[in-house]
Formats: sequence, C-alpha cells, structure tokens
Amino acid sequence: MTASGRPAPAVQARPDATAALFYGEGLHKRFGGVQAVRDISLNVPHGSVFAIIGPNGAGKSTLLNLMSGLYQPDAGRMVFDGVDLVGLSAHKRVRLGLARTFQKLRLFKQLSALGNVVAASHIHHDIPAWQYVVHAAAFGRDHARCRAEAIKLLGFVGLEGRASVQAASLAYGEQRMLELARALATSPRLLMLDEPAAGLNAAEVERLLERIRLLREGGMTIIVVEHNMDLVMKISDRVLVMDYGQHLFEGTPAEVQANPSVIAAYLGAMT
Amino acid sequence: MSSGLALAGASGNRRWWFFVAAVVVAALPLVFQDSYWRTNLIVCALNIMLAIGLDFILGYAGQLNLGHSAFYGIGAYASTLLIMKLGVPFWMAFVCAVVLAGAAGMALSIFAVRLRGHYLAIASLGFAVIVHQVLLNWISLTQGPLGIYAIKPPPDIALPGLPVISFGNTANMFYLVAAFAFLFYLLLDQLVRSPIGETLTAIREDEISAASFGINCTAWKVFAFGVGSAIAGAAGAFYASFVGTLVPDAFIITESFTILAMVIVGGMGTLIGPVWGAILLTVLPELLRGFGDLRLVLYGAALTLVVLFMPGGIVQAVQILRARIGRLPTATKAGTRQ
Repeated sequence: MTASGRPAPAVQARPDATAALFYGEGLHKRFGGVQAVRDISLNVPHGSVFAIIGPNGAGKSTLLNLMSGLYQPDAGRMVFDGVDLVGLSAHKRVRLGLARTFQKLRLFKQLSALGNVVAASHIHHDIPAWQYVVHAAAFGRDHARCRAEAIKLLGFVGLEGRASVQAASLAYGEQRMLELARALATSPRLLMLDEPAAGLNAAEVERLLERIRLLREGGMTIIVVEHNMDLVMKISDRVLVMDYGQHLFEGTPAEVQANPSVIAAYLGAMT
Repeated sequence: MSSGLALAGASGNRRWWFFVAAVVVAALPLVFQDSYWRTNLIVCALNIMLAIGLDFILGYAGQLNLGHSAFYGIGAYASTLLIMKLGVPFWMAFVCAVVLAGAAGMALSIFAVRLRGHYLAIASLGFAVIVHQVLLNWISLTQGPLGIYAIKPPPDIALPGLPVISFGNTANMFYLVAAFAFLFYLLLDQLVRSPIGETLTAIREDEISAASFGINCTAWKVFAFGVGSAIAGAAGAFYASFVGTLVPDAFIITESFTILAMVIVGGMGTLIGPVWGAILLTVLPELLRGFGDLRLVLYGAALTLVVLFMPGGIVQAVQILRARIGRLPTATKAGTRQ
C-alpha cells in the first residue's frame, strides 16, 4: 500500500492543526429538510492522497463544495495551511492554493482547450494595468509564459494535439482530462477531484491514476471523491467513508476494505 | 518565442485592416455629400459605439443588459445640462458624461449582482424605464417632454497653420464621432485580446467554474458594465451636440432593443459583428423609407429572418460563406467523380 511510509494520524483523533495541510472539524450543512453533511471532521496531511467515498447521496460532493467555498457550512471549522476558510469566498480560496474539478463537467464550452487553461490561469497574470490597453513588453512576456504553461499542462494530461479544439467538441474522456489541466493551471497545493474517473474507460482510468501519482510525487496534496473503488484502493493513503452525510469510518484502504460496517453500507451493496 | 512571433504576425494583419478601415472612414463624407446621408453616417458611428459597448457587456461578459438606452440618455443629458446650466466647457462635460454613465452602469450591476439571465434583463429594463421617466418628469431640470433646444456643437478646433475645424460642418462632426468610435473599438479590441477576454468569457460560460479558478465574478461584471455604459455615455454626449435638441423619448426603452438587435444581427461575442449590425440596422430602415409604413414590417421581417437562419449573425454568415468558397473546388471534384 502506498500509505506504508507515512505516519497516519490515529483514527477518530481530534484533528491536529499543525500536521495537516487541511483540516475540518464538526462540519454541518443542511438544505431545507436534508442534512447533507453532519458533523464531519477530516484531517488531510501534507502530500497525501485522501479519498472520500460513500454511496450516492452520502454528502461527498456537498463536503467538497464546503471545502472549495461554493457553499458555506452551517457550523464547523475549516483551516487550510493555518488560514481559517470559513466565510472566505471560492475565488479567494483559489489564491491560497485550493483547486477543484467538478463531477458534472463545467468547461468553458465555447473556448478552445488552450483557452480553457489560459482562463483558468487567471490568478497568475503579471501585467501592469495599462498594458491591458496598450499591449507592450510585459504583456507579451505574460502571454508567451501563460501559453507555454498551458501547453505544458495540456501535454501533461495528453491533450497537446487538441489545444485549438473547442472544448465542447472534445471527447468525453478528453473533457475530463481538460478539467484536470484547468485545475492544475491555478498551481494548487491542495487539489480536490470530484469523481475524476466517472465515465472513463479502463485505459483512461489508468492514465488518470498515473497523473495523480505524478502530481503526488511532485508534492501536491490530493483529495479525491470517487466511486471507482479500484482507483481509490490503488492511490489513497487514507479513506473517509461517508453515509447519509455522516462519518462512517476512516482509515487506510486495507482497513476500509476489512471494516464490516463499510462493507455493509457500501462495498457489500456493490458486489 | 514562436508564440510571440505569431502574436506579432496576427497584430500586423490587424493593423492592415485598421488602416483600410481608416481610409474608408476618411473617404465616406466625400462620397456622401448631401446632409441626409452625412447625418446617417454620424448616426451609424453613434450606433457602432452603442453596439460595441453593449456587446462587451452582453457578448463577452454574458450579462443580459436591456438598459443600454439609459446610459446613452444619461450621457446626453449630463453633458448638455453641465454645458447649458453650469457653463462647463464641452470636453470637460464630455468627460463627466462618460464617467457618470459608467458609474451608473457600475451601480446597476452592483445592485443587480445576484441576478442573472432573465432577472438581470428585467432589472436593467426597469432601470431604463426609471431613467426615461425621470428625464420626462423632472421638468425643472430637463424641461421634460418640451425638450432642450439650441444645443451647440462641440467647440471649433483651431490648430496653428491650418483652417479652423468647425463641427457645425457635418463632415467634420462625422470625423470626430467616427474617430471616437474607432478609438473605443481599439480599446475594447485590446481588452478582449488580453487575458480579460478569457476572464469575461469564462464568466459568461460558467460563473461557478470561473469562481473556482479565482475569478472574482462580481468585480469583473461591474467592470464590464462600467466600460460598456461609459462608451454609451460618450455616444450620448455626441448625440446631443450633433442633433442640437434633446427629448426624453430619444432614450425610450425601445432604443435598448434596437441596440440589442444590432449586436445580435451582427454577431454577439465578436467586436466586428456589432459594427456591421449597427451599420446594417441604421442604413436598412433609411433605404426602406420609400415603402412608407410598410418599411417597419419589412424591417421586422428582415430581423426575424436573420435571427431564425443566422443565429450567429453576420459574422457567422461570413464564416459559413468563406468555408463554402474554400470547399468549392473539392466539392465540384467530388461531383464530377460521381
């Protein structure tokens, strides 16, 4: 298991603010009569791959939306690298180093693949205000740098030959990889992937796994919400299992696979 | 390095097109000598300003603004009242009108920031109605439906060694308005070719996605509204000084729909499209004048046909045509083979 070399925090211990890149404590979110997330605490160590699994409607995506700032929690704390996230809007969290992809693809369909990545590198532009009107040297440098970086990212996800294709015309698997490239364009320290393997064929899942491994080797911390158990078991250091918005179990992939309550709630239902 | 060269090449090509456009604009008043067509030329240039300003808000940032006539009216009344009531010099009043119209646009977008789509459309429409009603009923300031008369054209420009340039002359007035339309086009062109173009398009395509790449959607929408409505304010200031009279009904909400039609017919989300849309929808009604009341029916029918068969506007039609011409040789070859 990939988790072998890593000191994993004790299960169910109170999250420790100093060891974790991200930690959340007692998170709640209610939509009308539905308690989508109930008292979830999680502790994501630096450089780890942290998986969140659970049956449909378990609240995984809601939890991700709380972390990325699309929703604000009704109660609870969230700290990213020492910064309190509660109340901070999504666009500000990106500048801290959080990035995410969407389960339901949200590409800029009318832009090219390259345009999508360039649009996603919004926070990295280094142009004096007047050069937006009169394009001079700094503008040219920024333009060349952003394009080069975008092309490099497209190459990383295997879309280098598709840079000028409109996002809407890409094949589904390609669109998923473009989502990944866009999220990487913000140069995140914490990357949150919402069902990145949904709708991918076996070869594409294999490529995705390889990319995630490479990113993790590069020092990136990754949270992945996934239904593909094979992928989760292969890459994650720790797995949080949710059911009905609540914490069901947390541990290493091996512990999750052996836990009877998880099997009953989720794995058992699948086989 | 190569992308830098490609950029230089592209802008070189565009420079050539801008040069051609400047020559054509310079020649137009010489071709059209009578005051009727010269008036139409000036109206064309004003409408181009309005259309590209609205396109920046609607076609790029994706904000359905139906209140563009209000910013046009604010620019016209602000400059005229400053000149006639306070004796402010024309160009200072012009700058104030641009700033005021831009501020009104920003205020509307801040107020309507949580609204999008149909709701923003209704809010901006409401804003246009309010502005029109204020102009109509604040009689002590605007003289309401009686209107303001004898508004002077912009002051003469006297350059040493050259004859005095008077804007009472329709050709000179056209050059002035066309120069500003050109300037605003260049400004917007530079903006949309900068990363701002991608940022606004991202907001148009998907605000939630844009926010998750660090784009502050609210701030950028306010920016787009500010720029677009400021340009409408400039058009308003020129309109008043050119026509010489101001009545509130010049800025009634149907004017917003006319500007919207120019943007749609030309092609939203491109800058050159609304320019062609503005020219077509200014000239077409004039050409149809011979048909009397029937001209409105013809105008409406033409508009409907365009929206039905060319939803991407003139720009899309040209692209399709170009693709067809490009394919023509192979198509005939395939035909002969069969």
